[in-house]
Amino acid sequence: MGSSVRKAIELILSADPELLNILSTTARVCLTSSVLALLIGVPVGILFGAERFPGRKVLLVLNRTLIGMPPVVCGLLFYMLFSGVGPFRHLHWLFTVKLMILAQVVLITPIIIGVMETFVADTAPALRETAKGLGFGRLKEYRLLINECLYSIFSAYLLSFARAIAEVGAVAMVGGAIAWKTNVMTTAIMMYTNRGSFTLGIALGLILLSLSLLVNIILSVMQGRLSR
Amino acid sequence: MRTTAFTKTYNKRVVLSLPELTLPEGNITAVIGSNGSGKSTFAKILAGTERADDKRPILYNASVGYLPQKSFPFRMSTEKNILQNGNDPLRARALMKELGIDALAGQSAKKLSGGEAARMALCRILMKRYDLLILDEPAAAMDMESTLAAERLIRQYCAETGCAVLLITHSIGQARRLSDQLLFLQGGKLIEQGASAQLLSAPQCEETKRFLEFYGR
Repeated sequence: MGSSVRKAIELILSADPELLNILSTTARVCLTSSVLALLIGVPVGILFGAERFPGRKVLLVLNRTLIGMPPVVCGLLFYMLFSGVGPFRHLHWLFTVKLMILAQVVLITPIIIGVMETFVADTAPALRETAKGLGFGRLKEYRLLINECLYSIFSAYLLSFARAIAEVGAVAMVGGAIAWKTNVMTTAIMMYTNRGSFTLGIALGLILLSLSLLVNIILSVMQGRLSR
Repeated sequence: MRTTAFTKTYNKRVVLSLPELTLPEGNITAVIGSNGSGKSTFAKILAGTERADDKRPILYNASVGYLPQKSFPFRMSTEKNILQNGNDPLRARALMKELGIDALAGQSAKKLSGGEAARMALCRILMKRYDLLILDEPAAAMDMESTLAAERLIRQYCAETGCAVLLITHSIGQARRLSDQLLFLQGGKLIEQGASAQLLSAPQCEETKRFLEFYGR
């Protein structure tokens, strides 16, 4: 165990090309999917929290169901849609980073919608009453509401990034964990461990934890500044 | 300024039913009554944040400013909060000084105490001229010194702008000090109305007499 950790650290310090490739694929998949999910989830979450419209409750139940969707089910769904018998087979997206990102977006977006909806539903009535009392229009009301949401947007992003970087089921199914192409850290750890190559697995695990810690520290500092 | 007659029902129970009312411009009209009498519901319907049963507004062609009982501090500094309602830093500073919160201008409004937040909210609403200004218990969270300063400001605002002010209060003392006319509500109905001095010294209805005796004339 001790020697495996030492070898893992050596591997990180030597900038192993395969390790770097896995790292860059992971960064691409996680950052792109979490940012895309944020761009979709924040406005939808704010809308669900601030407005009352027919079908809202049904959509909220659907969203809560999607939050709990097992990643492998999501992966299976996309596999069927994009495989040789699926309706989107002509796009040739199966076992590509594009489809991995798409699957991650579908997994993460409901989390962001849920976080934003909960916060906005709690905040919007009082803010709206005050804004309306001051005679503000809808645009200014929404600007103020978004300003109130900044802290929650960071929280939502933290959660979504954590889910994206730790996710394995969906990306393994639609990406296929192909070396030098679609292998991300989580799928690589699984693959190398299955092969009995613990050193690379441990190195990847250490990097994964360090990255997660680093992103959390950065976002927490930014969140702290916002709350002042 | 005239409001139309209206009724408000919650869960098949009529909580407020008021006749046509006149709110004179340049005057302060206080609405008094015990908890659940319908004072705040009246304020909300008048402000348009809630609708009467027939969904129509009860006031037409008038700009209305409304300070809710629990006003919301926006996530920004105290001064920026106030400037949201009118870009006049000099007036904002003067109002803050009058209410003793000028030292808190740069502080986050989210970190203000209840009394400070209430003073900030009053400064914010007084930045703009409205035809009708509705204040729902504006001094409920303030100490006596701040309450008196707030009353001075409200009186001054009313005199300078000539707008009608509707003050919701459960403080008979405040109604006496500040208002020109009074509306007494009980159980969602208007029991008595008239000039403040007269209504407070010689109420005509038994309910008003009992209320004033209980809360102290």
